Amino acid sequence: MKTKATPAIKLDTLSDVNDLGKPWRYTEDGLTVTRSSVWSPPGCHPVGCGLKLFVDDNGRLVRVEGDENHPVTQGRLCPRCIALKDYVYNPSRIVFPMKRDPEFRGQDDKWERITWDEALDIIEERYKTLTGKYGRETMVIFTGTGREGGTMAPFATMSFATPNFCYTQSGYACYTPRLAACAYITGIPYPELDYAAGLPGRYDDPEYEVPEVVMLWGKEPLPSNPDGFFGHSVIDLMRRGTRIISVDPRVNWLSTRADYHLRLRPGTDTALALAMLDVIIKEEIYDKDFVDYWTYGFEALAERAAEMPVEKAAEITGVPAEDIINAARMYATAKPAGILWGLAIDQKTNGMQNGQAVVALMAITGNIDRPGGQVVGDINSGLNEGGFGFDEGIGPELAQKMIGIKEYPGYCNLILNSQADMTLGAMETDEPYPLRMGMYTGNNLLACTSAEPRRWRDAILRSLEFCIAFDCFMTPSAQATCDLFLPLATVAEREGTLFAEYGAAPLYFGAMNKAIEPGEARSDLELAFTLGKRLNPHLWEEYDTVRDFINHLRLGRQFDFEDLRKEVTLQQDISYFKYESGTLRRDGGLGFNTPSGRIELYSSAYRTFNEDPLPYYEEPHFSPVSTPELFEEYPFVLTTGARTYAFFHSEHRQIPYLRELNPDPFVEINPKVAQRLGIADGQWCEVFNHIGSAKLKAKVTVTVDENTLHAQHGWWFPETNPNDLDENGPYQTFRSNINNLVPNFHVGKIGFGAPFKSMIANIRPLEESYDTDMSVVWDKFGKLV
Amino acid sequence: MTAYGLLIDYEYCTGCQSCEITCKEEHDYPVGKWGIRVLDDGPWEIEPKRFNWNKIPVPTDLCDLCTDRTSTGREPMCVHHCLANVITYGKVEDLAKKLPEKGKQVLFVPQFKPYEAKGPFVHDPSKGLRKAAHLEVQENTAAERMAAHRGDARVEEY
Repeated sequence: MKTKATPAIKLDTLSDVNDLGKPWRYTEDGLTVTRSSVWSPPGCHPVGCGLKLFVDDNGRLVRVEGDENHPVTQGRLCPRCIALKDYVYNPSRIVFPMKRDPEFRGQDDKWERITWDEALDIIEERYKTLTGKYGRETMVIFTGTGREGGTMAPFATMSFATPNFCYTQSGYACYTPRLAACAYITGIPYPELDYAAGLPGRYDDPEYEVPEVVMLWGKEPLPSNPDGFFGHSVIDLMRRGTRIISVDPRVNWLSTRADYHLRLRPGTDTALALAMLDVIIKEEIYDKDFVDYWTYGFEALAERAAEMPVEKAAEITGVPAEDIINAARMYATAKPAGILWGLAIDQKTNGMQNGQAVVALMAITGNIDRPGGQVVGDINSGLNEGGFGFDEGIGPELAQKMIGIKEYPGYCNLILNSQADMTLGAMETDEPYPLRMGMYTGNNLLACTSAEPRRWRDAILRSLEFCIAFDCFMTPSAQATCDLFLPLATVAEREGTLFAEYGAAPLYFGAMNKAIEPGEARSDLELAFTLGKRLNPHLWEEYDTVRDFINHLRLGRQFDFEDLRKEVTLQQDISYFKYESGTLRRDGGLGFNTPSGRIELYSSAYRTFNEDPLPYYEEPHFSPVSTPELFEEYPFVLTTGARTYAFFHSEHRQIPYLRELNPDPFVEINPKVAQRLGIADGQWCEVFNHIGSAKLKAKVTVTVDENTLHAQHGWWFPETNPNDLDENGPYQTFRSNINNLVPNFHVGKIGFGAPFKSMIANIRPLEESYDTDMSVVWDKFGKLV
Repeated sequence: MTAYGLLIDYEYCTGCQSCEITCKEEHDYPVGKWGIRVLDDGPWEIEPKRFNWNKIPVPTDLCDLCTDRTSTGREPMCVHHCLANVITYGKVEDLAKKLPEKGKQVLFVPQFKPYEAKGPFVHDPSKGLRKAAHLEVQENTAAERMAAHRGDARVEEY
């Protein structure tokens, strides 16, 4: 891997007195300052924002600032890391191991402090007993999103040596469906909008072209830094002239700045994309040379797209035909043009087709692997931990026991995860075999990730004899279901590396540098190493230290962490038009890393999985069209997962400054609907459907149209009763969990995609109020320890 | 005395609230107190498909322009951390020169604790009870009758 030192480009608002050019560690006014490129925890996607961590003589973190030396964030920082001290020293943080008798799951006062030695002894005994009885596959690891723990596959492959590494969201409805669609069609792991993050001169680099148009498809990048993309790069580009097309049912800040805002009915994206393809193909405004030389199946795609003329798409999506045509023309004629595709693509049963059609838009307009279009990695790119230790730790025989591998090979083999819905099923039925031991890494599924969370809780309680939590705070999930709690180190207390966008696009990477001592807390890397040495030492013989492991797992032994830490960040070597140079294929041939060597608009991989090789539109399983009778009872389309600057998913509820920005869970409702139903702004409501219900606070706003409700996710209330006593669950998490309304087992044919953003629901006002008293939150969590 | 201020380019303020949180961290303002707030106007419909939605950071009466930092030549924390990079700190006269360059800008000159800044009340002995001004009015008119109770001093004597 070729790399280069990252440039420090001064923002014009930064004073002339600044820290540009400072080394990775320096002293200032008696404080030791450590520069770091941080990932997690607290949770975020791997942007690796630049931080300066100021530590006093007592080893205490006293100040956090954005590092102006970072090539992308340039000193800018979002509220979540600005409040990092309040997370590290929060009085409710758990800083030592604890155990609890499984008999007392759900009871907070039954936890008992233990040493790490005792914790490891317990794990070893339970692991040996349970895997001895049921096989190693009896161990399941529940992973979450974004955080390093969510991606630490070596927990499964090398520490516990089990094939069942499981992201617990139905249909893996986050990121991976897009990744899979792109990988199957193009052989490229991920087509990110090119925001010059890998170029030394950034936006002014001679190799770069500012995109004329960026089309945001089901993505709200500003509050969430999705998939490791620094969201405010879009603002940087708009300042340089980029124009916006927004594909989103909701009005959001960026959509109000867009030339076209296509406000489609949630879940109908594939119809819209097919119609746009049809316009672009019929009007012959696609890149003919690129299509001729580098794509396969164009004619078939054209025929399929012709089945979705704009008038038909307008009827399905609710977007005026004229807007579809004009937006398609604008995107296709702009040079270059990039697409930022988002989570909404994954959060529908029809997600793999949505992703497929959007990749087709990128491809036929010639924007893939072009400056200012989609930036893509070469054959050496990809999720850097994917498959690490799999062959050695699991091997072909045990791999075949991965839950779902027979039913959903296109899911399990791609991401090396057990299929989420089937894992739930296995815990409910013991089929195909019993799961008896579990561990959470970067996951809080009862509050956040999983559909029908009570069902997941009951399945875990029924199935797992022993379950481990590894986190910074007690979570509802750990409280309800775990028997051992291990303390996780924060980003200030740990070493590690960070690859922007998980390494899926060739941009930059960096070092998480330790600034303060962790006490008894450990990082994900340290725990994987420690457990591995205990449970499966034969897989860890080549590593004497955690640094050895980092150097191999993360840095491919091409760098030493000791060197990287001093650089803090490095840019990767970036090049464009690689399909013309033979660096996209293992065999060095020209073209793309697919069977045909071309971008497969007609996908041979999809066909292998008994899926239609061409994109098609499928109505959401629950919708005004597919379930008209149910829709009479639940006459709104429900989209979940509203993002906010204050939180990363279910995290940060115990950080008073952040909670103050968003004290209560909200559901957005149109003013006319609110008027009709007698709902006042700020009134608590029940949102309900045939699957479940949740109580949220009405935010009356025109961001949603009269047919749509939009709800936040990830809520629990750490200031309330921790015990799992009643229907509300620990910390009242089930009271306001919008996933109560989302089903499992409504996934696409390949196993990916689930309807988190395309359900139906009704809403009614409540008389009672559940308003958070911020003085309670402040009293409980405001005094740092 | 040189006045300093914050120039806000609210064309690009996205409402990230980094300014609010970094200000609280910098000054240890508890829950309920703020040194800067992002005011939010919108979205409301101007015409079909076009919305007005402006977010504007407004310094509060607790904004001291980060005196401890700015006295060392650095910029205030809200300027440093702003994700959209829309806040510029400087001398008011310099910032004012940038106003004609583009639309959607606003220049704030904050006053830290304005009540305290006025100082305690001190009576100015040179001031006595003010006498009402003598008004030149035409005799035998309603205006003369209304002014009859006033003193004799002429307006220009005050």
